[in-house]
Amino acid sequence: MNEHDVMYQVRESFSGLRMDTPVEQVWARSRARRRRRLTGMTAATAATAGAAAVITLAAGGPAPAPSGHSPSASPGSASPGSASPDSASPGSASPGSVRLAAFTVTNGPGDSTTLILRKDAPIDPGELRQALAQHGVPALVTVGSFCRTTPLAPVPFGQVVQPTTLADGSDAIVINGQAMPSGAELSIAVFPQTVRMVLIEKGAPLSCFSTPGQPGQPAIHITGTPTQG
Amino acid sequence: MGHEQDEFADFYRASRDSCLRAVTAVVGDRERAEEQVAEAFARAWTSWGKVRRHPAPRAWVVRTALNLGVSWWRRRSREVPLAEHDAAAVAGPGDAVDPALIAALRRLPTRQREVLALRIFLDLDTETTAKVIGIAPGTVMAHLSRAVAALRRDLPIANQDTNATGVTR
Repeated sequence: MNEHDVMYQVRESFSGLRMDTPVEQVWARSRARRRRRLTGMTAATAATAGAAAVITLAAGGPAPAPSGHSPSASPGSASPGSASPDSASPGSASPGSVRLAAFTVTNGPGDSTTLILRKDAPIDPGELRQALAQHGVPALVTVGSFCRTTPLAPVPFGQVVQPTTLADGSDAIVINGQAMPSGAELSIAVFPQTVRMVLIEKGAPLSCFSTPGQPGQPAIHITGTPTQG
Repeated sequence: MGHEQDEFADFYRASRDSCLRAVTAVVGDRERAEEQVAEAFARAWTSWGKVRRHPAPRAWVVRTALNLGVSWWRRRSREVPLAEHDAAAVAGPGDAVDPALIAALRRLPTRQREVLALRIFLDLDTETTAKVIGIAPGTVMAHLSRAVAALRRDLPIANQDTNATGVTR
C-alpha cells in the first residue's frame, strides 16, 4: 500500500462525518461572542463595584447587611449578593480580608441585565430573586428543587438567556428581559455545584423535582456553590 | 451585509464537513471537534473581512479550531446547554469513523496528525501546509512520510483491503 492508498483510506473513513450545525447557529454564536466580550468588560466593572460594596475590615469595620445589594439600584449600578458564611460572621475574617459578593446583577450590555454568579460563593435565593426583580427580571428562585411549568414559556430560551464563563471561573448570564413574554419568569434552581435555569409561565401550576432536571429540556446548567436560604 | 452573509454562508456550507473531518482527525473526539469548528467559524464570521482574503480560508478555520485547544474545550464544557437542538447535535453521526483508525491517529504525534489532516481533508499542497502550520516544507514532507508509514503499520486490515479500495490519485 503506497502513500496515496493510505491517504485515500483515511479520507474514505471520515467521509461519513458531517457537520449538521446550521449557519444561523454560527452567526448566533458570533453575536454571542461579541456580547460576551461586552459582558467581560461589564463584568470587570461589576465585580469591582460588587467587591467594593462588601469589602469589610474585620478590625472595627462594620459588617454589611446580609442583603448586601442596594435597594435603590440605578441603571448601571451593581447589586451584590450575600457573602460567604465564614466571612459573614463578624470577627471571623482576618484584618484586611475581603468579602466577595456571591452574585451581582447589573444593567447592560444594552438593554440586557447581567447576572454574575461567583464560583464557590453561597447564593441566597431570596436576595437573588429580589435583586433580579429590581432589574425588571421576574424570577422564581428555589434551593434544592427545580421547578417548571408544562408547557414552558413560549420563547426560545437562547433568545432570553446567554450564559458564559468569565476568566476567574464565575458564571455570567446575560438576560434579555425584553425578549421575555409578559407572562414568563425565570425559574432558577440552586443545587450543590449546579444552578439550573428555565423559562416558565408565571402563575401556571409548577412541577418541582429534587434533581437538577431532565436532559433535553430547554435549560442550562451552570456551576456554583449555593447555600440554603 | 447581505452579500457578505451569503458569501459566508456559501463558504460555510462548502467547507464545514472537511474542516470537521480535519479537526476530528487531529483531536480524536467528534463532539469536541464540532464545538471547536463551530467556534472557529463563528470567529471567521466575526473577522470575515480578513478571512475571506486569506489564501486558504478553510485552513484558517482549522488552524483556529485547533488553537482553541483543550483548555477552551474544558472551559466550554462547564456550560452544558441542554436545549433540544444541542442535544440533537451531540447525538449526530459521529461514530462512523473506524475506532481503529482513530486510535492509530491518536498514536501519532500531534504535528504529524496536523500535516496529515491538512493534506488529506483540505487538499493543501506542501507549501501551503507548511505556511499554515509554520514549519518548513521539508519538515511537512518528513511528517507526512512518517505518519503514513505509521498508519501503514497500524492498519493491517486496510492493507488487506488494498485491492478493494486501491484507488490512487
